[in-house]
Amino acid sequence: MSDPTAATGLPSTPRSRHQRKLANYMLDKSLQLRYVLLVTILSAVIAGALGYMIYDQRRTASESIERDLQALTQADASHQEFQEQVASGLESDDQALVYKMVAVGFALVIILSAYLVIMTHKVAGPLFKVSMYFDHMADGRLGTVTPLRRGDMLQDFFGDFKAMHESLRARAQTDVEAMERVHKALREAGNQADYRGDARARLDDALDALDQHIAHRKKQLA
Amino acid sequence: MTKPGDRSYKRSWKNLLINKRYQLRFTLFMVGLAALLMLGLGIWVMRVANETTTVSMASVRGEACPKVPTLGNGAANGDDEDAAPAPSMKLDESLDGSVGDSPSPASSASPNDPPATPSAPAVDRTGSAAGGPAAADDQPESDVAHMVAHQRRPRADRPAESGSAAADEPRKVQVQIDESSMTLTQAVPADFADRIVAHWSCELRQAATFERLERGRLRILWAMIATGVLLVLGLALYGIKMTHRVAGPLFKVSLYLSKMRAGRFDKVYNLRKGDQLVHFYDHFKLAHGGIVQMQRDDIARIAAVISAAEAAGAGQHPAVVELREMLARKEKSVE
Repeated sequence: MSDPTAATGLPSTPRSRHQRKLANYMLDKSLQLRYVLLVTILSAVIAGALGYMIYDQRRTASESIERDLQALTQADASHQEFQEQVASGLESDDQALVYKMVAVGFALVIILSAYLVIMTHKVAGPLFKVSMYFDHMADGRLGTVTPLRRGDMLQDFFGDFKAMHESLRARAQTDVEAMERVHKALREAGNQADYRGDARARLDDALDALDQHIAHRKKQLA
Repeated sequence: MTKPGDRSYKRSWKNLLINKRYQLRFTLFMVGLAALLMLGLGIWVMRVANETTTVSMASVRGEACPKVPTLGNGAANGDDEDAAPAPSMKLDESLDGSVGDSPSPASSASPNDPPATPSAPAVDRTGSAAGGPAAADDQPESDVAHMVAHQRRPRADRPAESGSAAADEPRKVQVQIDESSMTLTQAVPADFADRIVAHWSCELRQAATFERLERGRLRILWAMIATGVLLVLGLALYGIKMTHRVAGPLFKVSLYLSKMRAGRFDKVYNLRKGDQLVHFYDHFKLAHGGIVQMQRDDIARIAAVISAAEAAGAGQHPAVVELREMLARKEKSVE
């Protein structure tokens, strides 16, 4: 899957009411096209092979009729025109059958491709969304996770991801609260106790850094 | 699936269905679609094949076989044109000709004729049998084939010689055949056997053609059924295998997610060869790395505070003790 965030310029936090758009249906080209091409090529091969059989059988029947008609009318020159007319009719019928089958084949391929793009989008969509959250996590951001859209697949996987994300977020919040509490306690203790000068300066620096760290974490958890 | 850390994990047929809902949904869709397509087009093919078979059979039926030549009554067999002309049995006509006009002993009693039985009355050329009318009447009808032909017998197309004049005219010839038999042996045509052979060869050839056409029709049917079944089975296996390459990485990521949920951030290994969702997995690895980095930042920061507090002599402060516990937990999570 390509970088979903970079590709679409998504905002930092996912929208809760994301609607499907035609332009976004090919979220993961390699995954979706693999399915689409497989099913489409397979259908085209089946349709082509059976279509050829249909045409071949039909052509055999037409040739048989033409041959019989020729045998019947060969003695009479006046029937030559009739025979040519019938042969021409059969020829055009066969041609029409080919056009009909080609049209059915194209319609089949187009409908199948469209349907498969929609169907694979229901897999690629959740993967795209989770990828987006992964990118946020890579930056240390643990915002809230919104549910998938209705009709999306991989709901179980997304449930696992959401549980993990909420667990991390809860633990990070607990840690931040604990660090905040420790920071406050040590700051108060430092003010009350008579710590040695150099050590006190180091502790103050460490507590300042912890304070900044807590602020940064809070920002990430917002 | 085995532990995610096991890098030498191999695919196994037992584990092909990792994510049943996703895999079966896709596979059944493909299989159902292929089956529908095969069924629809198969019905079309069979319809056209039936039509072709019917047309071909009609064409074969249209080629008439030579008829069987008959020696008997052709009319009975419906073979008027091929039947040999039946010998004329109209004795009255022949009697109208040379026999009646110039009767001769040789013609009336040819050497080929079967000899008359001794009891049979002799033919009386004067018009009556030797035994006279009374003798003829004595013979029962069933025993004697009685045929009398009258020369110059009055006919419907001869009104001129009508009535009493003809009756009064004396009979010149009266033929009576008693207990005789006549065999008519027809001459067999030279090509009789050839025509018989030609007829039955043609009939058998047509029957074989019908059988071949029907066999061809059935072959198409069975070929399509076999192809359809093979296609459905092959597609089902291929579909499961293909979706397994998507479900596999998802399963692996799910295992890591469970560990992360429990606060364990083990090392993440690469996917197996041939797996899909490689880019998705890369995103996961980045996320995992980001979370691990967060823990390490926390560890560094907490360790610095603990160190400074210990240096300042506040190592036993409850807050520092709490920090130590947090540090130990975080260090354990990223081991």
